[in-house]
Amino acid sequence: MVKKTIGAKVKMDNRIWAIGGGKGGTGKSFVAASLGLHLASLDREVVLIDADLGAPNLHTLLGIKASHPDLGDFLTGTVASLEGAAVETPYRGLRIVKGSENILFIANLNHYRKLRLLRQIRQLATPNVILDLGTGSSFNTLDFFLSANPGIVVTTPEPTAIENTYLFLKSCIMRVLKLYMDHYKIPDLHQKMLDQIERNSQSLYGFFKSLMETDRAYGTILYRALRGFRPCLVMNKTRDERDVLLGRSVADVVRKYLLIDMKYLGAIPYDDEVHTSLRGFRPYYPEHKDSAAAKAIREISEELAYSIEFTLRTPPEIRLPDA
Amino acid sequence: MLKKIEDWNYYELLSVERTASQDEIWESYQAALTTYRDGSLALYGLVTEAERGLILERIQEAFQTLRDPEKRSEYDLALLRHAPYFPPKAAFRKSVGKLEIEDAPARKTLWTRIKRFFVKNP
Repeated sequence: MVKKTIGAKVKMDNRIWAIGGGKGGTGKSFVAASLGLHLASLDREVVLIDADLGAPNLHTLLGIKASHPDLGDFLTGTVASLEGAAVETPYRGLRIVKGSENILFIANLNHYRKLRLLRQIRQLATPNVILDLGTGSSFNTLDFFLSANPGIVVTTPEPTAIENTYLFLKSCIMRVLKLYMDHYKIPDLHQKMLDQIERNSQSLYGFFKSLMETDRAYGTILYRALRGFRPCLVMNKTRDERDVLLGRSVADVVRKYLLIDMKYLGAIPYDDEVHTSLRGFRPYYPEHKDSAAAKAIREISEELAYSIEFTLRTPPEIRLPDA
Repeated sequence: MLKKIEDWNYYELLSVERTASQDEIWESYQAALTTYRDGSLALYGLVTEAERGLILERIQEAFQTLRDPEKRSEYDLALLRHAPYFPPKAAFRKSVGKLEIEDAPARKTLWTRIKRFFVKNP
């Protein structure tokens, strides 16, 4: 009997890491590029995808000029697959899907194109995929973050960055719950959730408690969905031990007040040489392998690679693309 | 299991296992004090002053109970009556060809890191 294969084979064992966060300038692209370069230096095959739809610049951090094909070419159909848009870099094993120069079109990616992109990311024949996401909490950014296993929030030890980290995580939580509500056709809860969660940190608990009292089955579905969201945290640009400990504290506060299991991967010390490398259009990691920041990158990568507890349940709408 | 902070048990509050040693409890207590101290950056934009007061009170209560072996065993028994406890399995870490644990240099303990910045007269 001949078995028909519908569509391309989906590789199930791809590791997809998404680097995101609420605030700009925290070093998301730096972390993405450094993780990619580190894995490639270990003879792993890596694809970096510049999914910062509004302001792509990951190629610059790798010292590469913007050129075609890029993400825009895939989304407009000029290149048939995402695999075709992944171009070689000067670093063995590392390929990059550059961000598009056609910002206006890409930044407002429609739902269909987003799902097509998400599906193709999972179909890449490369075991390690790293998504560099943009700042903010647009649905596109959140959906890319939630589709990864795990999503990594990069923040810095400043009040603005911490505040935006919590806002970003709240947006992720609301997005996860909304997707599950839509999927299970749970009625009239979205507005109630928005009203309650906006109020204060304990209101998330309040929302679940009242839901459990009125409808235990729905409450259980949504609470399990929430517990399946397990982001990681990286504290970047730390200047002393106090900043390193701050990351631990943030993860603890998130666990207690936002009810999600956040893992603190570690801190990357501030290094002036990052700026110098960027000014010279050279990637930081290969030239500063002995620096404290590079060592931190290696430890974070190891922590990620050997962690088996990420059994993230991707929200249903993201998991089942119709494209 | 959905729980409000007031319902978290002492071990959950201090983020330690029920098998934790006195040193681990001390370290976690100090870490919790730094997290929930007045003006802590980790609370900015999420936790109100009233909530901070409440959790600090609970953390003090947790430490006072767990540091005293007699009170701790009484508390453990009370917890066991409420629900069974299964200690966690050892974390799996892929081997890289040698025993990393034995070769690894001793890491600075959490307490030595905390006291450098947050404790005036350790």
